[in-house]
Amino acid sequence: MRTTLSSLALLLVSTTAPAFAKSAPLPEEAIPSVATLPADYPASWLLVHDFHFNALLDGRIAIVDTQNEKLPLKAQVRAAQFANYLLSRGKREIYTAETFYSRLTRGERTDAITIWDTATLEPKGEIVLPGGKRQLSVSYTGLFQFTNREKWALVANFTPAQSITVVDLDGRKVLNEIDLPGCAQIYPTGDRGFASLCADGSLISMTLDDKGAVASSKTFEGFQDIDRQPLFGMPALVGKTAWFVSYYGQLQAVDLSGAVAKPLPAKASVGTAEGGAPEWRPGGWQVIASDAKGLLYVLMSPNGREGSHKDGGTEVWVVDPVANKRLRRIDLGGLAGSITVTREAAPRLVVSRPDAKVDVFDAQSGQLVRHLGANVGANPILLVPAQ
Amino acid sequence: MADFDRWTEKLSRGLARGTSRRSSLAWLGALATGAAVIPALPVARAATPAPSGGDKRPPVMSSNPQDPGDATTCEYWRYCAIDGFLCTCCGGTVNTCPPGTEMSPITWIGTCTNPADGRAYVISYNDCCGVSSCGQCLCNRNEGDRPQVRPQANNDYNWCLGTQSSIYNCSVAAIVGVALEDAK
Repeated sequence: MRTTLSSLALLLVSTTAPAFAKSAPLPEEAIPSVATLPADYPASWLLVHDFHFNALLDGRIAIVDTQNEKLPLKAQVRAAQFANYLLSRGKREIYTAETFYSRLTRGERTDAITIWDTATLEPKGEIVLPGGKRQLSVSYTGLFQFTNREKWALVANFTPAQSITVVDLDGRKVLNEIDLPGCAQIYPTGDRGFASLCADGSLISMTLDDKGAVASSKTFEGFQDIDRQPLFGMPALVGKTAWFVSYYGQLQAVDLSGAVAKPLPAKASVGTAEGGAPEWRPGGWQVIASDAKGLLYVLMSPNGREGSHKDGGTEVWVVDPVANKRLRRIDLGGLAGSITVTREAAPRLVVSRPDAKVDVFDAQSGQLVRHLGANVGANPILLVPAQ
Repeated sequence: MADFDRWTEKLSRGLARGTSRRSSLAWLGALATGAAVIPALPVARAATPAPSGGDKRPPVMSSNPQDPGDATTCEYWRYCAIDGFLCTCCGGTVNTCPPGTEMSPITWIGTCTNPADGRAYVISYNDCCGVSSCGQCLCNRNEGDRPQVRPQANNDYNWCLGTQSSIYNCSVAAIVGVALEDAK
C-alpha cells in the first residue's frame, strides 16, 4: 500500500514539480498524542465560563492564556446545563457542578460534581447530588463555593424552594442539606460557614459544625435596600472583604474573614460623571473586580436607567473604596459585559464583550495591551483568574 | 409538587397585581425603552451578533390593533422583562410553547405598559422546556428585574421547574392580568 502511494506521489511530483530538492521526508509523528497543561496555572490564565446560550446543555469552561494573542484557548472542560465551577490551586483540581439527563434532553436527571485534574483535565471522580434540585440559572460565582479550607463545597439549590447542599469533596460524599428559604447566593465565611442575601434585605451568616450542620446563625437586618439600592450578586474580594456594588454605584462591604460575617459601616461610591444619557451606572454581568492593592474596578454604562443593569458598560472606573475616591476612568473602546483583574506582577484588566471578543488592558495605565479576539468561546460571561 | 406549583403561580400573580412599586418601575422602564435603542446585551445578545439571530425576518404582528408590535423583535411591548429565546421564532407564539416542549407551570413576571391602551399588564414569562436551546430571536430586557434574592422578579433563573425536563428551549410572554390602576 505504502509503495503504491509512493509511486503515485512520485508520478505526481515528476509531472508537476520536477525541481524539488532531494531532502529527507518529514518524520513520522507519534499518535495518539494528547496535550497536557501545567498543573499550576500561571497568573495570566483565566477560567472562563462559556455559557453557550445556543446549547445550554453543552456549556464549557475555557482555560485561557491572556498573554497568548495567537492561541489563547489552552483547553476546555465540560460544564453542562447551567454549570458552576471552582478551581483548587492547592489540590490542583477543577470542580464542575452540572446537570444531565439520561436521554440528553429527557429521562432521568442526575446532578453531580465532577473533579478534574488541572494538568490532564481527566475526571478523577464524581459526587452525585441528590434530589435533582441544583439551582439552574445564568452563571453566578455564588452558586458553588468552597468552605472548610477547600475540603468541602456548598451548592445552591432552587426548586424554587431554596437550600444549600454541603458536600465533602475530599471524602466524595454529600454531608447535609440546609434549608435557606428566601435567601440566595453563597459567600464563604471564616473556616466553615457562609453568608447569604435574603429577600427582606437582610444578610444571614451561618457557621457549620464538623458534620456540615448549622452550628449558629445570625441575621443582619437592613443590609440591602432591594427597592432603592439593589446589589449586584457577585462582589469583588479584597482579601476576605467582599465589596458589593449597587445598581446605582454605591459600594458596601462585608468582612467575611471571621466565623460570622460582619457588614462594615463604611460606604463608598463609584462617583458620577458628565456625559451620561441619562446617567452613568454600573452595567453588565460581572461588573466589579479588585486588584492586589485593594482597588475596585467597576464596569460603567453611560446609558444608566431602570433595566440597564445587565446592558454592559463602555468604561471601567477605578475606585479606592477605603478613601472613597475615584482614581481614574478606563475607556474600553466599546461595550463589555464582564471584567476581571489578574494578579500578574503588572495586573491586567480583562474584559469580555457581547460579540464574544476578549480584550486585555493594563490595569494601571488603562492602555489596551492585546486583543484575544472571539477565540475562546461563544458566550464568555464569567472571567475567573487562575491565581 | 403540582399543588405547590399552582400555589406559587397564584402567589406570583397576586404579588404582581398588588405591588405598585414594580408596576411603577415597569412603567418608567417602558418609557425609557420607547425612547432608547436597545443596546447589545452581555448575556443574551452575546450569542447572536445580529439583532435577532439568523436572517432578518418579516414582522409577526397580531391581528388586534390593541396589541401592537412585532412579536419577533425584542422591542415588542410585552417583552419588557424577558430573558431568552422568543417562542414566536421557535415554532410557538407569544403565548404558546413550540410543539414537543412542555410549558413551565411556575415562572417570573413583569409588568409592561401597552402603548396602545396605556394599561400596565402583568406578563408571565413561562419557559418552554424539554428541547435544547432554540437559538432564535434572543432577547434580554430587564425593566423591573431585581437580584436573585427576589426570584419572582428575576429573569436569570431557568424557570423550567416543575416540568419533566429542566432543559430550556424558549420563553413566552402571556398576559395574565391588568396591574392595579393605582400602580401607574
